[in-house]
Amino acid sequence: MSDVAISTRGLRKTYRTRRGRKVVAVQGLDLEVPAGGVHGFLGPNGSGKTTSIRMLLGLIRADAGTMTVFGRPVPAQLPEVVGRIGAIVESPKFFPAFTGQKNLELLAEAIGAPRARVGEVLEQTSLGERGKDRFRSYSLGMKQRLAIAATLLKEPDLLIFDEPTNGLDPAGIREIRETMRGLGEQGKTVLVSSHILAEVEQVADTVSIIGHGRLLASGTVAEVIGGGTAPTVKVAVNNHEAATRVLTAAGMTVRADGNYLLVEGAPDPADVTRRLAHQELYVSELTPVRADLESVFLELTEGEGL
Amino acid sequence: MIRLTKVELRRLVSRRLTAVGLVGLFLITILLLVATYFDARPLSAVEQQQAQQQYEMAHKDWVDHAEEMRTQCEADWKTQPDPKPKLEEMCVYSEPKPEDFGKPPTVFAQIMPDLLQGSSYFLAFAAFLIGASFLGAEFSSGAIGNWLTFEPRRLRVYGSKLLAAATGFVPIAAVVLAVILFGTFLIVDKLGDTASTTGKVWSDLSAIGGRAVVTSALAAALGSVVGLLLRHTAAAIGVVMAYLVLAEGVFAAFLEKAQPWLIKLNFDAFVRHDAQYYVTECKTGSDGSYACDYVQKTLSFEHGAWYLAIFTVVVVLLGGWVFHRRDVN
Ligand SMILES: Nc1ncnc2c1ncn2[C@@H]1O[C@H](COP(=O)(O)OP(=O)(O)OP(=O)(O)O)[C@@H](O)[C@H]1O
Ligand SMILES: [Mg+2]
Repeated sequence: MSDVAISTRGLRKTYRTRRGRKVVAVQGLDLEVPAGGVHGFLGPNGSGKTTSIRMLLGLIRADAGTMTVFGRPVPAQLPEVVGRIGAIVESPKFFPAFTGQKNLELLAEAIGAPRARVGEVLEQTSLGERGKDRFRSYSLGMKQRLAIAATLLKEPDLLIFDEPTNGLDPAGIREIRETMRGLGEQGKTVLVSSHILAEVEQVADTVSIIGHGRLLASGTVAEVIGGGTAPTVKVAVNNHEAATRVLTAAGMTVRADGNYLLVEGAPDPADVTRRLAHQELYVSELTPVRADLESVFLELTEGEGL
Repeated sequence: MIRLTKVELRRLVSRRLTAVGLVGLFLITILLLVATYFDARPLSAVEQQQAQQQYEMAHKDWVDHAEEMRTQCEADWKTQPDPKPKLEEMCVYSEPKPEDFGKPPTVFAQIMPDLLQGSSYFLAFAAFLIGASFLGAEFSSGAIGNWLTFEPRRLRVYGSKLLAAATGFVPIAAVVLAVILFGTFLIVDKLGDTASTTGKVWSDLSAIGGRAVVTSALAAALGSVVGLLLRHTAAAIGVVMAYLVLAEGVFAAFLEKAQPWLIKLNFDAFVRHDAQYYVTECKTGSDGSYACDYVQKTLSFEHGAWYLAIFTVVVVLLGGWVFHRRDVN
């Protein structure tokens, strides 16, 4: 197995709206997803996540750029690797009038999977008896489970989940998270697009952040967080004006945040207390602000949204 | 491809609309046979007696007055301005025959071709409907996107769907036509006249039936393509209805000469092995008079067959091309 599961170079897609306006959904995206583990694919609404995933799956045509999955150029050689890819794009779509089981049976037959596999994946996703109900009657969570069950029919090496937790309750979200974690630990590659960053932070080994159809940052979660922002400290002090003057003079950036000051660019939190104490400004509270994916994300994608 | 076609066939037979369509076809078949039964039923004793009486009256009238009327007519003829109609055409008073009164017996060999042709229409319609919804529903529900993540080779996917729709309808059409053919035979055998049903008649009838099976399969495939192109069952049905009314109805009425290029006549020519149609031909005579004639013309079987074949191939290729390139959202 090559050590890159997905790679795209200069991927580009322009949509034409009904009124003939052009919308550039993806512009020159270079994405690299390492094989094995969970990869978070993050970006604001409309940044081109779904569009990129659809292009990878051959559902829509790219205008330019190249893509490979497990080293094979797609969509040209997609048929050779599609058996190793399980994907759920946006909301799960099946034949509404057929039962969950019937839907899976048709898919299993289409790919030549044994019929017994259908029962197994229904059990695995705890759908069990509900598999005999029509897809139309399923709740969102059950639809999502069925979609996961469908991807498991293939026993794939790469799973692509486009906002899998959309509309799920906390228990459902946790379950999906654990499923993804489990798959990642089995050595499978999971590409998960999401808005819920705390969510992704908990499961992802690596992430890519995109905005306006372009890659903004990528790497391990630690790298992305570390590389994005300088350490910030939150300071409580009684004279804001004087403190701001002192710290700014020392080359730090200071912002007011309610009763606190947010100080960036301090080499060390102790530096902040020492400089203020020198001017007889005494710090009553000082907390280092832990950078998280959310703050990095917001910083990177500021003004990138719709 | 064979595996995919099998899966699609399984899906086709599992669909509710297919079941509803089959029930509909079954009811229409029954209705048709019941109607044939009532048509073929001989007159009741009372009705027969009435017919007999009427014949006797007419015959008596002819015996009493025919000679007199002919003389009168001949006298009238002499006073007619030129050009005169022929005398033997103008003054015919033939003897009434008993079989002109009451109901002639139903002859199997005469009614069956029309019945089969009528059946070919509703079969084609049902096939089109089932085909259109077979693909229309898949696109409108979005299930096609999921399907393509399992089998991304679009032309195979396309081919398997059309093949399933077309082949799936073959046994259905064959059974319906066979029931109508043999059901009618049994009814007419009991109530009317099947003596003239020679081997040639049977082979002609089975040929018509066979071609009606072919048109049903084509209609199922075309319905599938239209369902795919328009992505909704209702849209597909609407477009075809509009076409039938506007092009085949209104347009054909105004432009009679265009009929050989419309679907209906070619369909008939194929199913019936040649079809007749009428055009009005107007001429200005050498004396400056202007007269119009209703002229019967024949559209050949070959024309119909080629027309349907080319039409189907073009539509199927178009659908394949569109599906191959289309973004699936
Ligand atoms: N079928 C379409 N026709 C026209 N424009 C489209 C179409 N699909 C997407 N777009 C546009 O392309 C851009 C990217 O959309 P996309 O769905 O890929 O974003 P996304 O990152 O998945 O967003 P979200 O997080 O909201 O799901 C958006 O501006 C969207 O309006
Ligand atoms: Mg999306």
